[in-house]
Amino acid sequence: MSKWLIAMIAAILYAAVVFAAAPSPDDTGVMTITARYVKAPPAGIDDPVWQRTAQVQVPVTGRLEMAAVNEIVSTRALYTDGELYFLLSWEDPTRSVTKESWQFDGEKWVHLKGDEDRVALLFEIDRINLFSSKSCAVVCHSPADLPRSQWKLATRTTAEKGDLWHWKAARSAPYRHADDGWLTVAGNPSGSYRETGRRNDAGSGGDVKNETPDGSRPLYMQDPARKPSAPGFLLVEEAVPIADYSIFKAGDVIPYRLPVKPGGSRFDVKAESRHADGRWTVMLHRKFNTGQEDDVVFDPRKRFSFAIAVFDDTGGDHSKATRSLVLNFKR
Amino acid sequence: MSEAEVHTSEERQTAAAGRECCAQLLRLQVPADAICWHRFFGALQLALIGLLFLTGVLMALAYTPVPGTAYDSVDYFQFSLPFGDVVRGVHHYAWNLLLVVMGLHLLRALVLGAYKSPRQPVWISGVLFLLVMPLFIITGDLLPWDQKGYWSTQVRFSIIASIPVAGDFLLQLFRGGPLTGIVALTRLYVLHILLLPGALVLLIGLHMYFLGTRGLSGPLSGNAAHGPKVPFLPDIVNRWLAVFLLSAIGLGLVAWQWPAALGDPADPTDSAFIPRPEWWVLSLNQLVAIFRGPFMVLGSAIIPGGLVFLLGALPFLDRSPERRPSKRLGVMLAAAVVLAALAVLSVMGYVEHFVRPEH
Repeated sequence: MSKWLIAMIAAILYAAVVFAAAPSPDDTGVMTITARYVKAPPAGIDDPVWQRTAQVQVPVTGRLEMAAVNEIVSTRALYTDGELYFLLSWEDPTRSVTKESWQFDGEKWVHLKGDEDRVALLFEIDRINLFSSKSCAVVCHSPADLPRSQWKLATRTTAEKGDLWHWKAARSAPYRHADDGWLTVAGNPSGSYRETGRRNDAGSGGDVKNETPDGSRPLYMQDPARKPSAPGFLLVEEAVPIADYSIFKAGDVIPYRLPVKPGGSRFDVKAESRHADGRWTVMLHRKFNTGQEDDVVFDPRKRFSFAIAVFDDTGGDHSKATRSLVLNFKR
Repeated sequence: MSEAEVHTSEERQTAAAGRECCAQLLRLQVPADAICWHRFFGALQLALIGLLFLTGVLMALAYTPVPGTAYDSVDYFQFSLPFGDVVRGVHHYAWNLLLVVMGLHLLRALVLGAYKSPRQPVWISGVLFLLVMPLFIITGDLLPWDQKGYWSTQVRFSIIASIPVAGDFLLQLFRGGPLTGIVALTRLYVLHILLLPGALVLLIGLHMYFLGTRGLSGPLSGNAAHGPKVPFLPDIVNRWLAVFLLSAIGLGLVAWQWPAALGDPADPTDSAFIPRPEWWVLSLNQLVAIFRGPFMVLGSAIIPGGLVFLLGALPFLDRSPERRPSKRLGVMLAAAVVLAALAVLSVMGYVEHFVRPEH
């Protein structure tokens, strides 16, 4: 056998292995976000490494009354040896952080109109049936056989668990994090007018309403002795009860929802955000493995189904969400 | 003679037969080039089949053949158990490599006229592998219960159903009902891990037996019977073990570096998913695509089946003792035409599914 023939056979065997190693790009209708490996973590939103990372233009679409609303979320992902980073950017001409703040009109306190902008990411902790193909439709909204007025954001069985990263412009951004929650079966009536499967991760966080028991005016104000660590927001730890309402003049504004200092597993997802030139840009990052049962464990060998939803100036579930997305990792 | 004495006598006979079998193996002399640097496809094939068996058994220890949990059990095996990704990867790569090695093994035998008398049974038993191997793929693809496996199986079931007369029966046999669900998964699992391996072992035994009785194909000129011989044990066995170890290490490294893909869990309601064919089935897929409607059976059964039949019948169609390729231009030309057709169909399939997908 000539050496050329042997070389040809070796080439054929090598080609077979290469072909087998190449992932088959099935026409799934599922968009893939590929996280690129970097040795050093990005320093922030403006780190040049993001510019060298391919962005995927992920369409988000509303449903029901918002069905005609379509937008694009530019999505990039990076990972280091132990942490995953997302950079999300979407068009939003107005920075909404009002969240029904109080305003004194000279006689009484009224709530300002306006809510907040948000973005949420949902992953599977334990496989949620059909999530990889149907995306949020199987959890974020009521299934066809259940009334929408009674049920939202839940899984069908306790064996199915989701991991929810919820960045809120008025309530989590001041503490530079995304509220880390998880998803299970409905049955949690608190926090919503409908039954929901949303649960908070272990630890502290969230927000409290700033109002007197009769709901007529704010209860707290910024501690005059402390410099606000997040200007424009009122953090619970920097708030003091209002002793004298006569110090306020017409037009004064006091936040209605006061972020509570996050801690524990609820503080696993760190965030940086900026609103500029009519766009939100949010960087989210979290350890691959937090060691908590209420968090998905990322493994760069695997692919992960997930979904993104953006909310524009709303406190409800009027979101624009992606179809099924897949996150994979590339070295 | 008492019953105890009968038992003792039977035991002695069995032990003697065993000793004689071992002695025969130790005395067995085989051509020195049975496994060598220019004749190793058969040994490599056996090594790959061995690896497939071993990795398959390991995977079966963690697998649950139920639609609701099959995917999770594969996911658990691959990503949670130590070396699970390597084991599944070796299974994946060994299978792909086996198809190539099988093709090369067959091509070598065809070009060198190894099917000629007295080795016709060796050739025919080899061609029978071509009938069994695709069944392993058809039955194995569904087992992870992922999107690709599920929808590829749906496509294959529709092709099986198009076979005249036997199509519906075969479909019912595989699927066991109107939908691809737990019955289909159980049946394909049993076929994949029990019945087909049994058939394969039988075929390998048959192939080896004919090799032993009819001999290896010798050089194109001269007499192989006068060539050098070596003892089967330990020389040939050691060489085979070297092939096995090299294959295991090589594929293990490949699997460690590029783990086998595991797609999304199957969603039988998601008809938007369009699986793209694997490289080895591109030509067959294209054949099916060319002959549409009532002619589909031409591409799905008659042409591929006819080719396998002709291949099996080759020793009886080309009876001359001449083995030199240059003196068998008719066979060489026919083989070249078939190979070229397969290559063209594969390229067409590649272009249709990967370069310019319409869907």
